[in-house]
Amino acid sequence: MARADGRRQPPGSRLIWPLLAIPGTVWLALLFVAPLYVVVAILFGGTDPILREPVPVWNPLDWDFTQFTYVWDHIVGSQPFFRPALVRTVLYVTIATLLCLLIAYPVAYFTARFAGRWRGPLLAALIAPFWISYMMRMLAWVNLLQTDGLVNRTLSAGGLLDVHVNWLQGHATTVVLGLAYGYVPYMILPLYAGLDRAPTAMLEAARDLGASRWETFRRVTWPLSQTAVVVSLLVTALPMLGDYFTNDLLSGSPSTSMIGNLINNSVLTPGQTGQAGAFVLIILVVSVIPMVLYVRSTRSGADVMS
Amino acid sequence: MADHQYGARRRSVVKGALAAGVSAPALWTLLSACGTKTSSSATVKIPSPTTPVTWPMSKVNEAIAAGQKPKAGTTLRIYNYADYLSPRVLKDFEEKYGVNIRLSTFNDADEALTKVASKQLKFDLYFPSYDSLGKLIGADLLRPLTHDYLTNYDNLWSSFRDPWYDRGARYTVPYTIYSTGIGWRTDMVPDDIAGMDNPYDVFWDTTYAGKMAILDDWHTAMSMVLLRNGIHDINSTKQSDLDLIRTQLLDLRKTMHPKVTISMYTDMPAGQYGLCQMWSGDAINTPYYLPKSVSPSVMRYWFPPDGKGEVDNDLVVLLAQGENPVAAHFFINEILDNSVAAKNFGFTGYQPPLNKFTPSTLVSDGYLPQNLATAVVEEKDFKVGFPLLQLPPASDAAWHQVWQEFKAGG
Repeated sequence: MARADGRRQPPGSRLIWPLLAIPGTVWLALLFVAPLYVVVAILFGGTDPILREPVPVWNPLDWDFTQFTYVWDHIVGSQPFFRPALVRTVLYVTIATLLCLLIAYPVAYFTARFAGRWRGPLLAALIAPFWISYMMRMLAWVNLLQTDGLVNRTLSAGGLLDVHVNWLQGHATTVVLGLAYGYVPYMILPLYAGLDRAPTAMLEAARDLGASRWETFRRVTWPLSQTAVVVSLLVTALPMLGDYFTNDLLSGSPSTSMIGNLINNSVLTPGQTGQAGAFVLIILVVSVIPMVLYVRSTRSGADVMS
Repeated sequence: MADHQYGARRRSVVKGALAAGVSAPALWTLLSACGTKTSSSATVKIPSPTTPVTWPMSKVNEAIAAGQKPKAGTTLRIYNYADYLSPRVLKDFEEKYGVNIRLSTFNDADEALTKVASKQLKFDLYFPSYDSLGKLIGADLLRPLTHDYLTNYDNLWSSFRDPWYDRGARYTVPYTIYSTGIGWRTDMVPDDIAGMDNPYDVFWDTTYAGKMAILDDWHTAMSMVLLRNGIHDINSTKQSDLDLIRTQLLDLRKTMHPKVTISMYTDMPAGQYGLCQMWSGDAINTPYYLPKSVSPSVMRYWFPPDGKGEVDNDLVVLLAQGENPVAAHFFINEILDNSVAAKNFGFTGYQPPLNKFTPSTLVSDGYLPQNLATAVVEEKDFKVGFPLLQLPPASDAAWHQVWQEFKAGG
């Protein structure tokens, strides 16, 4: 068989790539497409008359759009009581992600460039939070942030000052800091991987050509690490978008509800499970947009490289 | 041209994979396996003290035969609120009968009903309130009790042996009794709440903004608004009452920033807040969670002295999905035993409605301190108090919608 470039393909090569794609396609179908269809079938399905449990409707011709319309109307309509939680989510996630970047970039930069023989132990220390469950780490903060907890005791300088901040009583600051604390390890690792791969020859060339440390960082290191930054922002921000646990543990107040809380509340409330599906679709759309932009940017970058 | 080739290659990959077995019919079968189910009947009886209900015996789930013994090595699955059963009681039962107990917990009745209705978790015992009983029986989720196993049944207060929500106790056994009132710490709340003209107003007093909590239980929290306004029909189906609840609840959220939780019994002793809506059993439990540096005498609980507040009892029922109904019967009988119930009360703080526990002597018997004597529930409280009842489906949906708006924080 002749290819466009004139070279012959070995026999059977047409089948190799589709065969190699089977595991990934099966994985995608079972763990993404099928669950997503279940969510959609519940969103556009019915409700049991007694238990008010969701009754999925598999045939799209029989779908009922009431639940989706209800959610949509309460986001953009005259009584938009879902909207603040959505705005809050975007705000909290943006601030927490930027905080993560501020914390993670210097740490990853130091580890990749200057840690030397301490690189191994430092990396182990950076991965250490993954050994402890997210819930346990948040529960530790509950103890620290209690009114008579270590944070207030420290702020009160051992009792000299009267500090009674109710950190756990619906403070946006606490939730944002909790999110940043919880997700920062997810950002450090991809950043480290990206910075570690930056060719040192280019950095040395910049210095040899008279660039200062700051100029080298600004004109060489930062541009080289941008892909890693985008990846780490996505890896961190996307799970944060659906987070409900941080708010539940560190606030517990409706004043700091995020979209994850709306999903959790709807799933656990008879008659409202379908609405959770609508929120899931919203998160999905919001998540897919930056992913598409990222894929487009990396493809155009690859084209330029080639 | 390059893009076109890329696209064509991707399509051939997907085609190849589909041809290899992930076909649309296969996917369809997989999704259909998720099941589509509805309850067998669309009509639900709603019991109340004035309209008692005798439930029909289930035609689908038969009562088990008498005279059997639990099989050693089997597993008994229990579904209950967290910290609502003494670990000591569970362990003793395991040792006595050689049965393994697996306890799963839930945060609120809605969550529990959602999971129980899935029928997938094979729970043997479930501890609901009577406001979900009609749904559980209507959807054929319960197995009738075989009373031959319940030799301790007569230990119950006489008024609880043939309750209005289940005449003949065909499906239920009373578990605990409790009232819903206001809990506070005198070292954090200087006001004499019990002495106020309308103690419920304290939840709207901005002095305590950001320092208070209400129960994460839609019906309990919302009915408190009605009681604040002197409306005693806490199961109202009137739109005007629901509008009142909505207005005042949203006002409470905006001005008070309450924590919405059911963990008052640990949060308040830990000093997270000093004021909350509270169940009496949790109030009784608070002294055990206080730091050593804080005296139990700071804890207070208020319930309307005339008894015109919310009073309820929880139940234990046998789920049809369970695989160990014999051990489940033995367990129910065990918690009706006076000494076992005492152990359980000592841990949970929730009173069992048993003859052994005379409300007037609970303080002198050392079950709770004098400053929390108001948390004791007496048999007469059920004559004047108001129970939370199941609401008709349309009202239930409307109440839930208001609660959803409140919790969305919009």
